[in-house]
Amino acid sequence: MTRENRNWKKTLLAIADGFSQPLVAVIISLFLAAIVITICGENVFTAYGAMLRGAFGNSFYLNDTLKRSTPIIMGGLAVRIAWRSGYEAMGGEGQMILGAFCAALVAYYLPVPGVVRIVLAMLAASVVGAAYSILSGWLYERFQVTFIISTLMLNYIANYFASYMTNYVVKDPDGLDINAVQTGKIAVEARLQSIFSGSVHWGFAFALICVALMTFLFKKTSFGYKSRMGGLNPKFALYGGVNPRKMLYLVMIISGVSAGLGGAFEALGSKYRYIDQMIFTTGYAWSGMVAALLANFNPIGTAVASILLAGLSTGGSAMQRSTIIPLEVCNMIEGIITLLMSVRLIRITQRGYKTKRKAKGGARA
Amino acid sequence: MIFEMKDITKVYEDGVVANDSVSLHLNKGEILSIVGENGAGKSTIMKILYGLVKPSYGEIYVKGERMRFRTPSDAMAAGIGMVQQHFMLFEEMTVAENIVFKNEIRKGLFMDMDKTIETVRALSEKYSLTIDPSARSADCPVGLRQRVEILKILYQNAEIIIFDEPSAVLTPLEVDALLETLKNLAASGKSIVLITHKLQEVMAVSDRIYVMRAGKVVAERMKSETSIEELAFLMVGHPMTTRQIPAVHPGSRLLEMKALTLTQDGRDVLKDISIHVDAGEIVGIAGVSGNGQSELIQCITGLCASTSGQVLVQGKDVTNRSVREIRDAGLAHISEDRFVWGSAVQATLEENALMGRQDSAPFSSHGLVRHSTIRSYAQKLIQDFGVKASSPTQKMQELSGGNAQKLVVAREMSMNTPVLICCEPTRGIDIGAMESIHDKLVARREEGAAVLLVSSELTEIMSLSDRIYVLYGGKINGEFQRDAMDDKHLGLLMVGGARA
Amino acid sequence: MTLSAEYLATVLNSTLREVTPLLLVTLCACVCSKVSVFNIALEGTLLTSAFFAFLTQYFTRNIYLSVLVSVLVAMLITFIMAFFIVHLNGQSMIVGMAINTFSLGFTTFMLSMVFNTKGTVNAMTPNGLLTGLTKLSIPGLRDIPIVRTVFNNLTVIDYLAFALAIVTYIVMYKTVIGFRLRAIGINKSAASSLGIRVKRYQIISTTISGGMIGLAGCLLTLGSVTLFTQNISAARGYVALAANNLCKGHPLGALLSSFLFGFTKALASVLQNTAAKQQLLECIPYVSTIAAMAIYNVIARRKSKALS
Repeated sequence: MTRENRNWKKTLLAIADGFSQPLVAVIISLFLAAIVITICGENVFTAYGAMLRGAFGNSFYLNDTLKRSTPIIMGGLAVRIAWRSGYEAMGGEGQMILGAFCAALVAYYLPVPGVVRIVLAMLAASVVGAAYSILSGWLYERFQVTFIISTLMLNYIANYFASYMTNYVVKDPDGLDINAVQTGKIAVEARLQSIFSGSVHWGFAFALICVALMTFLFKKTSFGYKSRMGGLNPKFALYGGVNPRKMLYLVMIISGVSAGLGGAFEALGSKYRYIDQMIFTTGYAWSGMVAALLANFNPIGTAVASILLAGLSTGGSAMQRSTIIPLEVCNMIEGIITLLMSVRLIRITQRGYKTKRKAKGGARA
Repeated sequence: MIFEMKDITKVYEDGVVANDSVSLHLNKGEILSIVGENGAGKSTIMKILYGLVKPSYGEIYVKGERMRFRTPSDAMAAGIGMVQQHFMLFEEMTVAENIVFKNEIRKGLFMDMDKTIETVRALSEKYSLTIDPSARSADCPVGLRQRVEILKILYQNAEIIIFDEPSAVLTPLEVDALLETLKNLAASGKSIVLITHKLQEVMAVSDRIYVMRAGKVVAERMKSETSIEELAFLMVGHPMTTRQIPAVHPGSRLLEMKALTLTQDGRDVLKDISIHVDAGEIVGIAGVSGNGQSELIQCITGLCASTSGQVLVQGKDVTNRSVREIRDAGLAHISEDRFVWGSAVQATLEENALMGRQDSAPFSSHGLVRHSTIRSYAQKLIQDFGVKASSPTQKMQELSGGNAQKLVVAREMSMNTPVLICCEPTRGIDIGAMESIHDKLVARREEGAAVLLVSSELTEIMSLSDRIYVLYGGKINGEFQRDAMDDKHLGLLMVGGARA
Repeated sequence: MTLSAEYLATVLNSTLREVTPLLLVTLCACVCSKVSVFNIALEGTLLTSAFFAFLTQYFTRNIYLSVLVSVLVAMLITFIMAFFIVHLNGQSMIVGMAINTFSLGFTTFMLSMVFNTKGTVNAMTPNGLLTGLTKLSIPGLRDIPIVRTVFNNLTVIDYLAFALAIVTYIVMYKTVIGFRLRAIGINKSAASSLGIRVKRYQIISTTISGGMIGLAGCLLTLGSVTLFTQNISAARGYVALAANNLCKGHPLGALLSSFLFGFTKALASVLQNTAAKQQLLECIPYVSTIAAMAIYNVIARRKSKALS
């Protein structure tokens, strides 16, 4: 009885501990942004009010926010699996770009029935995303090129490549606007349809399914166990018979598929084409990283945080329309949240810290 | 009296009493030893002395003056220096640079390297601690690196020098040189505190001895009026018993190495190792650390690829196979370092208990893991091996070092494999737990398992092994049967002496 | 013949102009890595300081003040980075990405607030024509035809960059302070066990080295061209990381490695006049960064094998 009580208390404290940090981070960053907004001569409440209404105020905006959260969730999942497995890769952006680009091409050009086209487009995005992710894994395994450098460089390369292709090879043949650098518009039957009547499309549902799959993968499978142990102590995993090479590539594939699909959802359900720079400027992959961090890499939490971050940016656009504050203030907020999430702000459960120090001392003594 | 501690008590925030009103003093020019088992509180008292830990109560006096050490530099300023067990060296820098760090010899803003080298050379000659000042410290053997540590402290003009388990990493010859150094330093007026559990060394050099047990000083003895036996009794609190191992007739060959060789950076780390372990046998690998033990184990267990030769487990060739295949061939492995290889400290006890069996029944099937099975299994390991833990969902890092070690040992022994590789199984464990692990090892042997035991504690190897191989410089330098063991001869072979 | 020599001189000239900002950032990375602070906020620091250089020039028309502000801003950001990583034990990767995200948002935000655009502001501002750093023309050099082209359009900060590489080398490898910093980078706990305030050394040294990023920022916005455009740093901070990786934190090695990467960047802009498409040319620096890292690692591995 008392034991159960204590367990409950412990769980509650752990949950409170998990939520307190992001909450404090969000509050501080909103406060700092409020100062900036005030300096710019706007009323903070007007600005934040516009932001809140523009994010969740009515079904139209809510739809928009959920639609926007779709690639962020996928990007977050991609970061989550890679980082938790010990690979600090940041290639989600490049994979998402190529995923969106390939999905847009397949869905536009392939002469097969609509649904098949959607499936093939998503498949193509998965394959391309995975391949690009494997490339950085290969560079790491074969040439010891660190993930941070290879993935960041590959992001730029992917963006320029897609930009080149859209400019010169697959530019929209029947576009009215000659200056628009984009691929052809995907036919209605090959688009991801909206779930309800609003703009949120089936990609969002897919993303939630992916969250569930990811949770299952990490909680219930031996693959999840192995990848987690590899992330915590690669030598321990090796010692216990985990094949590090196999794990590296599997993790890279899952991460790449996730990011690639995120791009595909954006192309098939939101923009209905690939528009030059469409992933690069929106920073979906980075928001995904922030979301994963906010949720301390919990998949469900990542989804929730993604929706909030998406709301921040749809709300930011609304704020931009009704005030003089540009929406980039949201990137600043995101940056401050990330910065604050990098350190331990408050501690409800005292346990972890002290014992960790003890364990360290123990290892040394 | 140069130094005195009065009624020092240390209570950690979690309520653990590490020191309970400990009082001790040190005279000038004296060698004082503090002995005790792991966990007796000697390392805490030493940390308090050196300003690394603040005492909860009690007073410290240096030369009659009340001191409050907040950091090691306060202690250093008061003339107290410490040679840590794990050296604190800047590996890529020269010996001289290491010694002068913080009190550099300058020429304006710049380093005066010529004068630095000269000064260090003069210092090393003064205390006859010969060393090459311009050698890179990473290239120096362990004994010399310890010498650098001592010189570092002498350079800081320390009056009181604390040695924390100084012989743990040294070869027997180096130990002799160290003991000689200790005597020289005391003779030149330095006061020495030696913290160790090696009673032979204590008896060889100290003037006075404190024995600690369970956080308290239980005895103070002059060397002339005590003996190793008495000290051992005082340390443990009960008389030591010698283990009687029943004879078992070795059975079939379970583990065999044929001409195993490993070449790294042009050096033969292992050369032509041909050894075998039969069913019902404990075979010890004796040797000073760093003579190829780690590499040998890594080559057997698949953590490192050998250059040539063969490893057979139950007659199956597993040379350079993956860890998975080797473990599946019937091998379990207690790793030499529980935190580097043997566990993931941020994972739960359950997760740590599962490692190695994550893909096998009954813990997983079709790629899915069974949490309830794993939990009850972890619970069982915790009970069977007396791991002090509140629940299997605790994090590994919340356990003390000894309990973490018990869990690692529990996990590997409970796999019940025909072959058990056992490296430093009792490192950092109290005597009671050590006895119980030794009992379990012997029990496995009687069940017909083949146990390969690697340990830097010669007594552990000698008391458990049916046969011993001596490893020196990556080669087998002798083999002993149980009844032909002789520690003098063994010690000689361990440092490269010729076979008889 | 003279034409092609002249052409090569132009390539060399634009290489030099690409190298110097990169070199300055790499030098900061060198110092940071030597004291074992993993700084990936280089990119954001560069971007923000470049923006402030431009902004100060826009408001004050005082080039000295612009350089000063830019340097101070870079030092401030580097300080924040170091404070979070060293003092608060933040994860360096996350701290760096946070600063980079913030910087991109902040500069675009300011660009929009001050200049009412989210694209490019060139020297011809609503507030009148901006001038950049004065281009040095060294007597002797400006009279020799080809040499003149090589050193054309270089500012005092360009020359300063090379000098700073040497200064950084001397500070890190010859002085007492540098000795302590390197020692801290090799073994933090050894240094602190001797009573050195390791965190203070780390934070101060990285902060000061951050000033060099400020100089690089001036070169981007007030150097060979005077303009600010969104994300003008264009991954130079990340490339500097790679350059630092190649030179293993040695300031003189940084000269070589940043030259290598500067050359690829210059190549991309020089080739723009050819038939090759711009977007593909833009990839050259990034591809060659990865390639250089891979080749370097392979050679390093071969070497250690050959030793044996």
